[in-house]
Amino acid sequence: MKRRTLLTGAAATLAATPLARPHAQKPVTISWWYHFDDPKATPDELVAAFEKDNPGIKIEPENIPWGGGGDYDNRMYTSLIAGDGPDTAMVKFNNLARLMEMDALTPLDKWIDAWPGKSDISADLWRLHTAPDGKRYYMPLQYVVMYLYVRLDLLAKVNQKPPTNFDEFLAAAKATTAGEQWGFGLRGGSGGHDSWMPFAFGTGAKPVKGGFVSPAALSQNRYFIDLHRVHKVCPPSAPTDAFLQIINNMKAGRTAMTVHHISTANDMVATFGDAITAVPVPRGPNGTGWATFGDGSNAVFSASKNPEAAWRWISWLSTGPNNVLYNKAAGQMTVTTSGAAHWTLHPKRFVDATVQSLPIAGVLPNLPQTADFTRVVWPQNTQKALLGQIQPDDMMQAFEKLFFS
Amino acid sequence: MLAPAMAAAAILVLLPVLDTLWMSLHDVVLFRPRSRPFIGLENYTIALTDPVFWESLGNSLVWVICAVSLQFALGFTAALLLNRSFAWRGIARALIVVPWALPSVIIGLIWTWMLDFNLGVLNEIGVRLGILSASVPWLAQSSTAMGGVIVAIVWQGFPFFAVTLLAGLQAIPGELYEAASIDGAGPWGRFRHITLPGLAGVIATALLLRMIWVANSLDLILVMTGGGPGTATQTLPLHAFLTAWSGGNYGQGSALAVLLTLLLLGVVITYIWRSRER
Repeated sequence: MKRRTLLTGAAATLAATPLARPHAQKPVTISWWYHFDDPKATPDELVAAFEKDNPGIKIEPENIPWGGGGDYDNRMYTSLIAGDGPDTAMVKFNNLARLMEMDALTPLDKWIDAWPGKSDISADLWRLHTAPDGKRYYMPLQYVVMYLYVRLDLLAKVNQKPPTNFDEFLAAAKATTAGEQWGFGLRGGSGGHDSWMPFAFGTGAKPVKGGFVSPAALSQNRYFIDLHRVHKVCPPSAPTDAFLQIINNMKAGRTAMTVHHISTANDMVATFGDAITAVPVPRGPNGTGWATFGDGSNAVFSASKNPEAAWRWISWLSTGPNNVLYNKAAGQMTVTTSGAAHWTLHPKRFVDATVQSLPIAGVLPNLPQTADFTRVVWPQNTQKALLGQIQPDDMMQAFEKLFFS
Repeated sequence: MLAPAMAAAAILVLLPVLDTLWMSLHDVVLFRPRSRPFIGLENYTIALTDPVFWESLGNSLVWVICAVSLQFALGFTAALLLNRSFAWRGIARALIVVPWALPSVIIGLIWTWMLDFNLGVLNEIGVRLGILSASVPWLAQSSTAMGGVIVAIVWQGFPFFAVTLLAGLQAIPGELYEAASIDGAGPWGRFRHITLPGLAGVIATALLLRMIWVANSLDLILVMTGGGPGTATQTLPLHAFLTAWSGGNYGQGSALAVLLTLLLLGVVITYIWRSRER
């Protein structure tokens, strides 16, 4: 017994000697997966600044191909299952449930609550970043909120103003449709669910159990499908139009309105100057509304051997000026209140439309089926409804079945 | 002596096949790595009772029959033309291989933009020549989307037939044609009684191979339409891919892959039987 105590004491003494310190102070390497829409953008400046402030931590960033989100997610799942995943990575809400089911995430609550930068991120954002189990696994990093682009000059020609509700929206879309010009650039292809939700849930319905087939959601979905099928205020290619098509159509003057977010604002202003603006998406008769929240967060994986160092990196990225610098590369909105107050990366009217939409910002249910919904189930059923192969109510039944049956 | 070859075949072919069979009998979901219960034939039951499976099977039949027959017709015509003597024949023979040599993703993107409703060159030409009254959203309507992707794969695949059949044509002795001409056979007679019988073996092998490749291919459709609009261009391999890759349901995806393999088995057995005969 005495011998064991002696050995333990000797080991503790040895660990405390200077000989042991070089090992203890060996720089920790944190691998971080990320993706920027702009292939030329790099996080090199950020990494250099962080490593200068934190000499004990080395960051290994790795740009992972996006592939519509599916490639990125599946690489992440498979690497985590194989035990070869990164310490931390950029993540989206639509894979939160799957990552939770894999027990792949480290809860960040204790660190967030002790973090000085917590109050610089709005309560709306913390609300959106809370998981169904009440914990916070995702650290806010960037965000966008879907808003409505409006060509002021085209609307003015037909005596219309930027719409605030669904009746005004339909009137403006009809009035600006003529010949090779259409009132609304509807996105029925990849990623179109983000533009559809403001319509489907705009009058009070919620994407919860029974919500997809509630009278409000069914009625609003018919309104959305009828924009193409009945009123014909969208280009004939709308059922498969995706990001490039809706943006190119808008820039070519073929559409007067479309739904997107601030990452394309500078491009729009470069094309149209003051003739284009953004307003929050139309609202329902009682002021209800739904603006799809486009998230971008960081998570620390439970398999990380250095979770505290990973937290240091992701919290540094979400801190005031660092987050502004980060979003210069990402092209999206800073999550910090201090950064937004002096935001110069986008014209003010687009920032205002984004911030004004935050109170009605919402996300899809955090369920394992969400990723399949966005990539396969939504486009297949919506395209069929837009082409008249199924009824609008059938598509909502399919969504309800996928999520809640 | 055969052991290394057998071992290589077992590792490269047999193991993946057995793994796919194993997965098809289990509930294998990518994001539930710790739970893979045995569920017997449930994945097969689900697949066979899903209307999307039958729709995809129908699309696969249209895709294979139209693509392979059009590739064959175009390739055969090109082979006959390239077998004749004319200036720059060497360059023409080299150029015809270009579509075959291009990656499918590039071909998919090229044709997607050529068929684009807003910017597509085919719509522009059609409207200017008065063939079309207005631009057509070729890939956005179910009545034309399958035609659009078939055009693209025909363009990609006809050089395979052209080159293969050209090699077959060059192997037919010229004396046979001379003798037939002396006996009074015209061009049609020479084609029917010398060219076609001389190429029969090559044609059969090329058709069988191409049917297997086209039936299994999904890259071009994935790039051009993703199976849409709706499920208008979704073939069986694409259905399996989306189920496994996008849905993370590898058990269900494996069952679909096994069903596709069983459907193709007839063609594969015919090919193996022909190969052994030769």
